[in-house]
Amino acid sequence: MSEMTHSYSYLCPYCATRCDTFEGIKSHVLEQHKAQPLPTPEGYIRLTINGQEYTIHVEPEWTLHDLIHEKLGLTGTKMFCDRGACSSCTVIMEGRPILSCMTLAIECNGMTIDTIEGIETEGHPLIEAYIKNHAMQCGYCTPGFVVTAKALLDRHPDPTHKEIRDALGGNLCRCGTYPQHPKAVLEAAEALKKSPKGRGSTRG
Amino acid sequence: MVNEEKQKILELMDNLRADKYPLKECNHIGKRGVRRLDGYEKASGRANYTMDVQLPGMLIMRFLTSPYPHAVIKSMDTSKAEALPGVRAILRYDDPELPPEADLGGHAPSCVPVLPGVAHFEGEEVGAAVAADTEAIAEEALKRIEVEWEQRPFVLDVEEALKPSAPLANPEEYPDGNYYNQGFLDVDELGDVEKGFAEADVILEFTSRRRLHTWVGPERPCGVFKWNGEYPEVWVKQQRPLISKRVISSWFGGIPMNKITMHCLYQGASFGGWSQVPWNMGGHYCAALVAKRTGRPVKWVFTRREDFYGGEMDEGVYHYKVGAKRGGTITAVKVRALLSNLLFPIFGAAKHFIENTKIPNVYGKIEAIQVNKGINAPTRCEQNPNTHSLTLVFDHVADALSLDPIDVALKNDGADGHDMDWLNERKAEMGFQVRDSLGECIEKGKAAIEWDKKWHAAGTKRLQNGRMHGLGFTWTHEWDDSAGSSEIAIRIERNDGTATILGMRCDNGVNAETAYCQIAADELGMRLEDVFYRPQFDPGFYTMTPDSSTNMSVNGFAVRNAARLLKRKILKAATRPTGQTQRGSFPPAFPGCKPEDLDMKESVIYVKSDPSKRISLAEFVQPSGAEGPMSHSPEMGKGAERSNFTVPLFSHSWQVQQGAYSSSRLRLCRQAHFMEVEVDTETGEVFVTKVVNVNDVGKVISWEGCEGQQYGGTYMAVGRGLFEEIVHDPVTGVMLNGNLLDYKIATMNDVGPIETLLVETGMGYGPYGVVGIAEDIATVVPALLGPALHNAIGVWIDDFPITPDVVLKALGKA
Repeated sequence: MSEMTHSYSYLCPYCATRCDTFEGIKSHVLEQHKAQPLPTPEGYIRLTINGQEYTIHVEPEWTLHDLIHEKLGLTGTKMFCDRGACSSCTVIMEGRPILSCMTLAIECNGMTIDTIEGIETEGHPLIEAYIKNHAMQCGYCTPGFVVTAKALLDRHPDPTHKEIRDALGGNLCRCGTYPQHPKAVLEAAEALKKSPKGRGSTRG
Repeated sequence: MVNEEKQKILELMDNLRADKYPLKECNHIGKRGVRRLDGYEKASGRANYTMDVQLPGMLIMRFLTSPYPHAVIKSMDTSKAEALPGVRAILRYDDPELPPEADLGGHAPSCVPVLPGVAHFEGEEVGAAVAADTEAIAEEALKRIEVEWEQRPFVLDVEEALKPSAPLANPEEYPDGNYYNQGFLDVDELGDVEKGFAEADVILEFTSRRRLHTWVGPERPCGVFKWNGEYPEVWVKQQRPLISKRVISSWFGGIPMNKITMHCLYQGASFGGWSQVPWNMGGHYCAALVAKRTGRPVKWVFTRREDFYGGEMDEGVYHYKVGAKRGGTITAVKVRALLSNLLFPIFGAAKHFIENTKIPNVYGKIEAIQVNKGINAPTRCEQNPNTHSLTLVFDHVADALSLDPIDVALKNDGADGHDMDWLNERKAEMGFQVRDSLGECIEKGKAAIEWDKKWHAAGTKRLQNGRMHGLGFTWTHEWDDSAGSSEIAIRIERNDGTATILGMRCDNGVNAETAYCQIAADELGMRLEDVFYRPQFDPGFYTMTPDSSTNMSVNGFAVRNAARLLKRKILKAATRPTGQTQRGSFPPAFPGCKPEDLDMKESVIYVKSDPSKRISLAEFVQPSGAEGPMSHSPEMGKGAERSNFTVPLFSHSWQVQQGAYSSSRLRLCRQAHFMEVEVDTETGEVFVTKVVNVNDVGKVISWEGCEGQQYGGTYMAVGRGLFEEIVHDPVTGVMLNGNLLDYKIATMNDVGPIETLLVETGMGYGPYGVVGIAEDIATVVPALLGPALHNAIGVWIDDFPITPDVVLKALGKA
């Protein structure tokens, strides 16, 4: 066997300039091309989910729900209606609640997304308020409600009963837990006033 | 003591009388603010459902469905589908390994084809199943299967299907005609209706229609089948995990029950429905075969649309004839109901008049008629035709006689043709306290809705917003059908002395598991946080399923029985030397005491006469095994006294009862519902502005659980009454609205404030006097839209759902 020697060099994707170090190519791309030094390979997207960065291959037909639920295993984001009717698959993208079943994953390059798992690890008081108020039965649609309510509270920390009903009006719950949700959201809003960073909980 | 307790338990089985041995003091039962066991998982998205199961190498399986309402597969070419990259197996209807029929689930054992070659409704799973790397590939492969179909004539409507010229909807099963239940439990009869009509001052005749509606479980039907060598491991989206296990054990020449591992994760709701359909394990059978052939686990799934085939057992036409005295006493009711595709055509359409009133003459007949649509199975629940009839008949009578419908209800309340005096005597005989359940429900509900202030003659009250105001009332008995058997065990854990309830049932969201813990904690004298129900774990006991209108009354008894036996065991163990070994025995925790000298409270065992003598359950049970007695004792080897050792603390008990369907028990508890509506007579829109639910649940175990059922039942009921309808194209027989955009269920904003009231008369046959609540509101309230609307616009609409076009037509505007 011949002795193998490896020599690495970095190739600029814009002008094919070679550099020996990563830092070197990075500053070259930033200065010469005013661009991100490592362009995403074709078919890959970069996005931030619950504070974690991902560079991941996606097929053009995958929805954001497919990516989150099937590929990343974040199974809290549920699919109930199949397409755009029930809000169970709601995630927060760039601060807005969106339907992950109606969003193509490939269009989410560069986006920041929060799912129910992120809201849980943040220790958001909505979780405990939902438990306390029995705002669930079978629980399948519940994460979608909590995510929608979180997006509401981010924008309106002190919502009225009517504003909550309007915000959650597009979330379907076959078990009919509806009257318990505004109570839970109002309680979470109160808890947030006491602990405004969104951490802590209403528990205890 | 244990034997004495066992005698008491046996005495209460097949509970035909009041609970003779209720608890004297409840610390957890019936208390508000009990934290749900499933709450954190469900609110945080950590709860896993069968659709969430992902296993290494798992394939996804989908089914070919019929594009025609009635058709035979003449030939099928799957070669193009097989050639698609990512397709791993295609199972065909003519596969030599498929038996002609197999037991594939349903309410009772019944054999049906696994992959039929004939479709009896559009959308039926027939012909082929494709397993592929992804669902998208499976779907693409299904499109590439070429089928030569022979179309047959079809019929969609029950009245059409009864005509002599009608085509046979299912000649394979019903070759003699579409009317298929003649002479088999199809008639409910009391007295002589002709005599009753002759005695009446007024005779009413009218016809009602109920159009097809369905369950809409949020999680699609699905399942996972994996072979661990020769042994199956199965995940079911099913409310009957152990019945599913029995079904699986009948396949492939027989698989012993003890070699099958079942998982019943959280369920994306079901409401009966799909779990009762006699093919619901068909997907698992196909998945089992494909998993064997490919060596990979297989998850089978339906699409959202495929979940829409099938519905509740009340679609059809109802003909009523009623006789009544001027004062409101009903003398006779005759019902003829033509109902489509009934899975069990035995539940009647006039039973509630017999079980619930003093009307002496009742005749009800159901004609079950096959049409080319999916099967209609009990969906929260099979009593829909009965409650539909009761509401419409009582409110039509009140209107015809210009009486308050509440007075008509109170005047006719009773049972088996007898009045309340007779029923009260029976209550006393059975050991119940004699309470006027309907009267109590009505008193509470009337005050909440302000009935006396708001009640008005039909079609007379226009509001300032231009809409017409209406008020409606209905009532019936509570659900205490509760047949079945249940096995439950409770184990005390070592080290910390916490209690684990063992039993396998599906979680369908009613908070039952928490309620079982409330019962066990109170019975054992433990802190609630020390008791846990281990969900989704199969200990091998046949715990009662949450169907057959049964939950708390059977499983609640089983938990209580196990807890009472366990408490006796604990107190006995605390007073006697235990662990007889070759080196002697271990000393008792309470030397010189008898079990009856001790009691438990807040997970502490204490001497009743001197509560300062106490030991916590945790201290009592001790560690075990390698960290148990004698292992690390400093006195080891010095001949010193041995440390304590407590025998394993475990109890197993059960409950069995026949229930009330066979009229073996009188219905004692009642419910009453009140509804306020506003009707826009220009657009035909109906706004439900207030609902008051009053349920006599006998005894409340979980307040929030009961209220949740009232809220949820009301929302489902308003959807059923106002907009839920599956529409088929009459020309092609194809379902037109198999999705949640075109099939409307109620949203948060479709019902005004709901006031939930509970009455506790203790007149249920369950433990502590409970009756069920989860099925009934969604079943009783839909028809209430009819009388509430009539009160608003002065016109009867007996055609459900009452969509705006129906309202405008009734008003002569369309």
